[in-house]
Amino acid sequence: MGDVILEHVTKRYADITAVDDMNLDIRDGEFVTLVGPSGCGKSTTLETIAGLTIPSEGQITIAGDDVTTKPPKDRDIAMVFQNIALFPHMDVHDNMSFGLRLRDFDSEEIDRRVERAAEILQIEELVDRMPDELSGGQRQRVAIGRAIVREPLANLDAKLRVHMRTELQRLHKELDTTIVYVTHDQAEAMTMSDRIAVMNEGHLQQIAPPLVCYDEPANLFVAGFIGSPSMNLVEGQVESGQIRTQGFDVDFDPGQVPELAAGDDVTVGVRPEDVYPAETASELANPTRRIRARTDVLEPMGDEIFVYLVLRGEDASGAQAATTDTAAARGSDELLMSVEPDSDLAGDEDIEVVLDRRKIHVFDTETGDAVCHDILRSEAMGGEPAGPAGGS
Amino acid sequence: MATETADEERRSGADGGDDDGLIAQRAREAIRNPGDAYQFLFYVVTAFFLVTTLFPFYWLLVLALTPGDRMTDIGLLPNGFNPASFVEMFQRLPFHVYMFNSIVIALTTTVIVLLVASFAGYAFGRLQFRGKTALLLVLLAISYFPPAAFIIPLFQFFTGNVEILTLPAVGTISSPNWFNTPGAMVTPFSALFLPLSIFILTTFYSQIPDGLEDAARVEGATRIGALFRVIIPLSAPGVATAGVLTFIGVYNEFFISFLMTDGQAQNWAPIVWGVVNYQGQYQAFYNLMAAASIVGVLPVVILVVIAQERIVSGLTAGALKE
Repeated sequence: MGDVILEHVTKRYADITAVDDMNLDIRDGEFVTLVGPSGCGKSTTLETIAGLTIPSEGQITIAGDDVTTKPPKDRDIAMVFQNIALFPHMDVHDNMSFGLRLRDFDSEEIDRRVERAAEILQIEELVDRMPDELSGGQRQRVAIGRAIVREPLANLDAKLRVHMRTELQRLHKELDTTIVYVTHDQAEAMTMSDRIAVMNEGHLQQIAPPLVCYDEPANLFVAGFIGSPSMNLVEGQVESGQIRTQGFDVDFDPGQVPELAAGDDVTVGVRPEDVYPAETASELANPTRRIRARTDVLEPMGDEIFVYLVLRGEDASGAQAATTDTAAARGSDELLMSVEPDSDLAGDEDIEVVLDRRKIHVFDTETGDAVCHDILRSEAMGGEPAGPAGGS
Repeated sequence: MATETADEERRSGADGGDDDGLIAQRAREAIRNPGDAYQFLFYVVTAFFLVTTLFPFYWLLVLALTPGDRMTDIGLLPNGFNPASFVEMFQRLPFHVYMFNSIVIALTTTVIVLLVASFAGYAFGRLQFRGKTALLLVLLAISYFPPAAFIIPLFQFFTGNVEILTLPAVGTISSPNWFNTPGAMVTPFSALFLPLSIFILTTFYSQIPDGLEDAARVEGATRIGALFRVIIPLSAPGVATAGVLTFIGVYNEFFISFLMTDGQAQNWAPIVWGVVNYQGQYQAFYNLMAAASIVGVLPVVILVVIAQERIVSGLTAGALKE
């Protein structure tokens, strides 16, 4: 298929709005992943593209052709279903050739294409089997085979590997076709896609290349959803020259970050890998002031260690001390830090940590929208551009 | 008070242990081993069922084998042995034509019913629309109407006596005169047997996963194409059940068949007419009627045996082919 354009697509059911004013522009040959928690509308969006659901409002264009109300068969699309959906009463060959037979291909052409697809997916010896005689992975391959036999497969290499993810990426590269993938797994979305479309509660939150979503999340939802473990999000307030939260303060130069006006309620976001023990602060060009914390639980992951920190409520250099009790009441006195595996940190230890100012995200607490993605604008502009052009 | 009751219980318990009747003993055993009791009941019920269903057939056979002039005082065995009545029945009447008529009418009705009930079953089982429950209830209510309630209007209609409308240019359009044709039977049969099949197919079609229908449609099938290529083949046991029930019902139908033809074999009269026709004004060939009844049942027996095998194989082997 060519490019896919969704304009103001809305799908309402009797009691809920599954998709609300969705605008999506998928370019020809692009691999786009719709990702979001269950019930966010990603599957409904895919169904409207496939034609299994007719949107209540809006327009869908595939390859320049308005298909909003066209049945699926007139859209020239293929689909691999989450639950595989092989026809249990047909063998693998008949399953894969179902669409070809409906389109009146002659039997020689059908056999040739099915053979070719089976060869690519390495399921040649399975073509006579019934679906209930196959393993889960084999069924997935057959489902992919059913989707790709309608494409000319001449220039494909038969080198597919075991995992579905890899297979799909490889197929996408070789087929040069537009693929829309739906998953609730943000890691899957990050690794496979050219761009990911993050959805929540029927709304598109952000569509951007994976690293842009990671480095410059458009709002609090994307910040919390993309990345594992999640970004630390702490509520606070902007004062002149600093953002004050219950657990720590972050200072900035108001002249360099004009978006931050005193009095604004903001949420500070910082990823675990951008929190550093104070002793390694020398590696950082722009560390914040030291933040006093106590280590709580350590989770060694092998390649890194996740350290849960309880903030002790005072800036190391700060004059004013907030009691940890009030901080605990806010529930925002914890930070997750990721350190090198050779770190000698232990539990219940008083330490000091710093944040990388370049990686501090600030969101408007009320709207959730991102305000800025670093609080060191002049340096950032001198170094790499922070605009959306970067990232990928 | 309490002690009294306890005493009584103990006494009766002791009595029971010493000398009680066979029934009390059996009852105690049954309470101790409920499995035995259930098994005993199973045999009783099965035997009862077999006797009540199979004895009439045996009795028919006794009648059929008894020579025509010795039809009185027949016991459990035939008065003589005369298998020739199975030949004579075909000589006296073209019974095979009556059977052919019945089979054609039953098959036509079954095809129509399965087709229409498939569409209805798809709509009721797989689509959401306003008034679905109300429609199903109306269908259920109609299925309870006695066919006799319709017979006079139906007869008037299919004998061409109902003026449907009058057009100035064309003249009066009347209902068709289908008396003595299959149409006069197939049409009302289809209507009468539809509700049952619709209910059966609704249940089966509603259980096919949506994903399979979606997959068929994405692959290029229309909704109707998906129905015929995926949903119906996967519901084969249900379709077979609905089809067999309709076929048997129509094949055995008496009331409307009897009234919509004049009883001549060449006029599409069905089996029941054939059996009745062995009864003349002065003489009734009971042995031939019995023989004809046995022969007439054979197609249904064969159908049930075949269909049952199909249903079972469809369920177990997963060998349902498109």
